[in-house]
Amino acid sequence: MMFAQPEAHEAIAQGAHEAAAEGFNAGELLIGHVSNSPLDHPLIHLPTLFGIDFSVTKHVFMLWLVAATVFLVVTVAVRSYLRQEQMIPRRFMNSIEALVEYLRDSVVQPNVGAKWVRTWTPLLLTLFVFILAANAIGLIPIFDVVGLLNHSVLHLDPESFLMRLTHGGTTATANFNVTAALAMVTFGAIIVAGSKAHGFVKHWKNLMPGGVSPALGIVLIPIEILGMLVRPFALTMRLAANMTGGHLAILAILSFVFIFTEMAGAAVGMGVGLVFSVPLAVGISAIEIIVVLVQAYVFTLLTAVFIGMAIHAHH
Amino acid sequence: MNPLVQPDPGLFIWTIVTFLVLLALLAKFAWGPLLEALDKRQESIRKSLDDARRARQELEQIHQESKRILGTARTEAEAIVASTRADAERLREELKQKARAEATNLVKSAERQIEMETARALQQIRQEAVDLSVAIASKLIQRNLTKEDNQRLIDETIGQLDTQRH
Repeated sequence: MMFAQPEAHEAIAQGAHEAAAEGFNAGELLIGHVSNSPLDHPLIHLPTLFGIDFSVTKHVFMLWLVAATVFLVVTVAVRSYLRQEQMIPRRFMNSIEALVEYLRDSVVQPNVGAKWVRTWTPLLLTLFVFILAANAIGLIPIFDVVGLLNHSVLHLDPESFLMRLTHGGTTATANFNVTAALAMVTFGAIIVAGSKAHGFVKHWKNLMPGGVSPALGIVLIPIEILGMLVRPFALTMRLAANMTGGHLAILAILSFVFIFTEMAGAAVGMGVGLVFSVPLAVGISAIEIIVVLVQAYVFTLLTAVFIGMAIHAHH
Repeated sequence: MNPLVQPDPGLFIWTIVTFLVLLALLAKFAWGPLLEALDKRQESIRKSLDDARRARQELEQIHQESKRILGTARTEAEAIVASTRADAERLREELKQKARAEATNLVKSAERQIEMETARALQQIRQEAVDLSVAIASKLIQRNLTKEDNQRLIDETIGQLDTQRH
């Protein structure tokens, strides 16, 4: 059923009348718009290593696009800023500087302490801008516009690279594989932070809280290990679910246009779209802007808190 | 399986690799230099503020010093003016005194001279009168009288004149 997405895409690209002719399936359309492109039909085929398929799918491509954009935008702004005689931030650099100083002084420093600020600020800044950009790029319907252009002007081969790009969701952070990997980075950072602050062995000994009877360790150590594993799991699910949820809501509301067109004709479908679907979708998109920011911030803040907990472990 | 919960280890690893590469690049080319520059700027602002405070203190000191110097200068100037005024007053007084003394002397000597001149004039007049009288008398009396008689007469006459005068 997951390979029914091409039809779903055709449906949104070609409009209501054809969808009505083929029979509109809202469920498939929704899933096709938030999930990755089909795994057996990737953008670039790469060999399977150790049983892992490294082929470049839509979400891998989106991650690269986001990483490249973030790197170029940030580096160009920072470099031209630092090349100046006097350090006067201009235009976009103002927001980068505000972000860097805010994260450093209000998120990183209170959690990890003044001694480790310089060590962990780059990681947390990168986490924030990367997640923010990956979240935000999903709000921009680039590939839907490409699909629409193809339908009306381009008429490309369905197997061409650009057309294959139109399949699958654009928000890589809606995929739990991506958020799990980011949470894995946090997990690794926690261990590195604890090891740097206390030494590798002492970091693991910190799992056993000091000042309690060793007998309680039988209960406490499994709880602590569970806590250690639950944190990245919570990070994974929170980000992926939030990013999926908003898109699903918008798509479901917009689907009403096609459902009503199928049920009662194009005029009713248009009416529902104008009166109900589009205003509500615009409203939810506005909320999504906030969600995109808040989720990137929450992920960064929690990572900072966890790193801080590893550094200031209870002895 | 629903594609929303499809495990994808390839994507998982790609994400970690992409993120770590981005982290390394940004840390090297953007965050590192930027954080360093921000620290440096913070330091320079702190230093500028310190300098400004120190400069203000120095200025305050200089202000006090100049105020003090100005005060001293004013009192000194006042003292100088006062002493000058006193000197001038004394000088004027002296000059006045001197002028007055000179004027008095001048008047006195003039008076003395006048007296002397008067006395001499009187003496001359008297001499003239005597000579004239003698001449007239000689003419009148001719040889009737000797020189001694003449002298006696003269003396008598003078004596008479003197008594008349006194």
